Amino acid sequence: MYNFKYQRASSLDDASKAAAAAEDAEYMAGGMTLIPTMKQRLAQPSDLIDLGGIASLSGIRRDGDALAIGAMTRHAEVASSEEVKSAIPALAALAAHIGDPQVRNRGTLGGSIANADPAADYPAALVGLNATVKTDRREIAADEFFTGLFETALEEHEIITEVRFPIPEKAAYVKFPNPASRYAVVGVMVCQAKDGVRVAVTGAGPSVFRVDAMEKALATKLSPQAVEGIKVPEDGLNTDIHASAEYRAHLVTVMAKRAVAAAIG
Amino acid sequence: MSETIAGSRRGANVEFRQVGMALPRIDAPGKSHGKTRYAGDHVMPNMLHAKVLRSPLASARLRRIDVSKARELPGVACVLTREELSGRLAPTDIAGQTGRKRLATDQPILVNDRVRYQGEPMALVAAETVVIAERALELIEFDLEPLPGVYDPFDALKPGAPIVQGTDNVVAKYKVRKGDTEAGFAAADVIIENTYCTQFIEHAFLEPEVGLAWVDENEVINIRVSTQVIEHFRFIADAVGVPHNKVRILGSLVGGGFGGKEDVTVEIYLALLAKATNRPVRLCYTREDSFFGHGKRHPFTLTHRTGFTRQGKITAWKVDMTADAGGYVFLSPYVLLYATVAAPGPYRVDNLHVDARAVATNNMFTSAFRGFGAAQACIAHEQQMDEAAKTLGIDRLELRRRNFLRTGDLIATGVPIESAVWSDECMTRAWEALGERTPDDGPIKIGRGVAAYQQSYGRITWLHDTSEAWVGIEMDGTVVVRSGVTDIGAGQVSALAQIAAELLGVHLTDVAVYNSDSSTTPLAGTTTATRALYMTGNAVRLAAEAVRERLLRRAAQEFEVAHGKVDMADNRVFVADHPERSMALKDLVAVCASEGVHRSELVMFRAPFTGEIDPETGQGRVHPDYTYGAQAVEVAVDTGTGEVTVLKSVGAHDVGLAINPDAVAGQIEGGAAQGQGYALSEELRYEQGQLTSTSFSEYLIPTAMDVPEYKAIILESRSGVGPFGAKGIGEPALTPVAPAIANAVADAIGVRIFDLPITPEKVVNALQRLGN
Repeated sequence: MYNFKYQRASSLDDASKAAAAAEDAEYMAGGMTLIPTMKQRLAQPSDLIDLGGIASLSGIRRDGDALAIGAMTRHAEVASSEEVKSAIPALAALAAHIGDPQVRNRGTLGGSIANADPAADYPAALVGLNATVKTDRREIAADEFFTGLFETALEEHEIITEVRFPIPEKAAYVKFPNPASRYAVVGVMVCQAKDGVRVAVTGAGPSVFRVDAMEKALATKLSPQAVEGIKVPEDGLNTDIHASAEYRAHLVTVMAKRAVAAAIG
Repeated sequence: MSETIAGSRRGANVEFRQVGMALPRIDAPGKSHGKTRYAGDHVMPNMLHAKVLRSPLASARLRRIDVSKARELPGVACVLTREELSGRLAPTDIAGQTGRKRLATDQPILVNDRVRYQGEPMALVAAETVVIAERALELIEFDLEPLPGVYDPFDALKPGAPIVQGTDNVVAKYKVRKGDTEAGFAAADVIIENTYCTQFIEHAFLEPEVGLAWVDENEVINIRVSTQVIEHFRFIADAVGVPHNKVRILGSLVGGGFGGKEDVTVEIYLALLAKATNRPVRLCYTREDSFFGHGKRHPFTLTHRTGFTRQGKITAWKVDMTADAGGYVFLSPYVLLYATVAAPGPYRVDNLHVDARAVATNNMFTSAFRGFGAAQACIAHEQQMDEAAKTLGIDRLELRRRNFLRTGDLIATGVPIESAVWSDECMTRAWEALGERTPDDGPIKIGRGVAAYQQSYGRITWLHDTSEAWVGIEMDGTVVVRSGVTDIGAGQVSALAQIAAELLGVHLTDVAVYNSDSSTTPLAGTTTATRALYMTGNAVRLAAEAVRERLLRRAAQEFEVAHGKVDMADNRVFVADHPERSMALKDLVAVCASEGVHRSELVMFRAPFTGEIDPETGQGRVHPDYTYGAQAVEVAVDTGTGEVTVLKSVGAHDVGLAINPDAVAGQIEGGAAQGQGYALSEELRYEQGQLTSTSFSEYLIPTAMDVPEYKAIILESRSGVGPFGAKGIGEPALTPVAPAIANAVADAIGVRIFDLPITPEKVVNALQRLGN
């Protein structure tokens, strides 16, 4: 790892100023992706601005018909929160299967979605549950937030503060994990809410996406059989050392079917 | 969890007091308390840190290398390239062999002109810190001219292919011509033909390569290193250009070898840098260095054609196999020979025809890996037996029973098997131990598989293998064993102590073993080829027996009884028929010492020495003896995702005699885990010679979450050529595992996947093909 300047911000304002002043700053949340990337020298920021000291960014609260989760909230906190487990058990279960215990105790919600790894679990939760991302500047709907491979709608030095998850009627997330990283080779969040059914897929493509045909079929009847015959086109899906696009397309159907079964279970 | 089946122990005329007991190993307390110092734990004052610059290309010509900027970096003590080495070679043969000298196939220590695989070393750096050494690597400028490469052994055999080694890329060939295969096939009712493929495999030992070297006041280059083979000191001396007696290797307890520390790893680099700088130098590979730094398991393509009568009797067997040797020869010829010998497995095949070749490519070089060719052979012959059983409509176990070798039958190379062949007993017991069959559950289909094998223990007999050990008894009645043997974690050293304790009437804790020092402990050979217990165990047995004999003769005088009437146990010497007539062992030792009775012995044990096999027929002796056994497994296949979960896995092996049943069970359980990775998830992937699975994120070894509780069943025929009739278990424990799992998956889903590893994606594709 190269030498870099480490700063620990005490407030959002402090963090923004430090970022603006630096030559090439990176914010660090849990550091679960950033630190390994720096070790491999794929990222070489001049300044690392640690958001871990900003207390207001962390915490879980009920906010009317939604859950508001602070950006610096650790996966382990989401997984073990009674509030989350009772309001959106699928979200708690999703967080409980991110990475390994070490990752879950360091990694954060905000860090995960800002990184927008195509195989991360949280993007499926945000899009599947129709969440809203709050930043130090604005609010962004989940559907608009994830824009591509490791790309989001965030602007330069914009900081995520909170994610607001509407509480659904039924939801479940099922993934086929990579055996080493536990990242989703394919993960599917199925959610039934007042305004309809959502099916969000992570791992399969460059960015999280919804499956319109499945949503329509499930709106008619929320049953595993409804999605059994629906295959997403493999064009544009990821092919890597772990799985081909063709296999990922197959897994989308299998995971969707199992997610529906779990949601109605 | 393990159980021991004492084949002939009950009623045997020798009663053991130490051997055969599951005693805590003498290396256990140090390891479990974190006190054991591995090679990487050693540091010295004024020590430098080394790094290796490796070629990013797999096939290239090194046009220019300029290290001037690296040398100018403050803190850099030494940079070595081809300029300083003037073409020096690193030997790649088996240490200490006295058989045939091979063709000039050694590797330049540092790239001289041609790069033959990705990761080939081009420069060495020694600096004050690891960070400075890394920085220095980045300052080295080089021009590599890409050359056409060849990345598939079948492409490498085609006319006009780029030549990597020799004149035609063929680095070794073996054949077997036994009986009359044409007549055998003519007599067959059914002929089964299939091709099986295996993959590149990484050893993935816990402890990557590491060592520390210094030049002492006598100009001896001392190297403390994690290795299976301290006797590489001769090769290292030759490579560096000093006499053999000026290189000393000090082994440490090794954090895993599996064949990956059988070739020289960091030793020559350390010797060169320590000599050049006259300072201690440490080189510790990162995991990434380790992926590029040692040879891999050979991928094989094996085509089997087997004739059977309707009753399931084998009439003829023809095997064609091709192994990818990668960029340099290393141990490929030997691996290929093992695969050839093991081609028809533990079956009696009167009409056998084998053609085998190892072919150079610009992939990573391949060399030793637990199973050493016999593992790849087993993957093919055991799947072939299941395919045959399916076609013939004969139970899979029954088909094997009808063809298993019996003692006295001729193996593939035409020599009779002299020891017990308990293949049937092992297979039957392993299968029965699976217990009640787990029921299918929706998309989850259950399958079972079994595999049997024949695996040698002990080196090839024309390498003229020997092993030395010294055993002595101290004035207080404690015992000292000195032997160069390296302990790679399997309990090699503790087994020697247990043998000495048995023969000298003391407890395991009364024995101290000094080992793994090429200058001060008698040379015992390598810890490879499942030979350590067989060879060094016999040397210790013979040495301890000689000391025992002298002590007992003197004791017989003392007790005024006939020689042969005296025994020793629990640190006492006594008249066998009147145990109340006894004396403390240390008192007997005092008497012996006062009279000058020799209380120690140095012994050389020699394996059988033979000439080479007939090159045209492959007939003749190759190994001292063979181990037989079987693995049975039950798997669950998720037909939706293609995921395979191993539910039950049982290894049953006739180990002749288990010196320490816990250590044997440890080998069987470890083999079951390593074989599971081989079958299901592990694969080093090279694309145009470039490694794409460069870490444990892509190279998937089984974790604690993936493995069931393994079961080990130990059978003891006492028929082996090791001490007290022991056979070897190190490699055999792995060999049948992968094919047993492959057979179980085929049983579960009704279709076979012919190329390992059986990934979820391959399972889904196979099911889709079946569905169509």
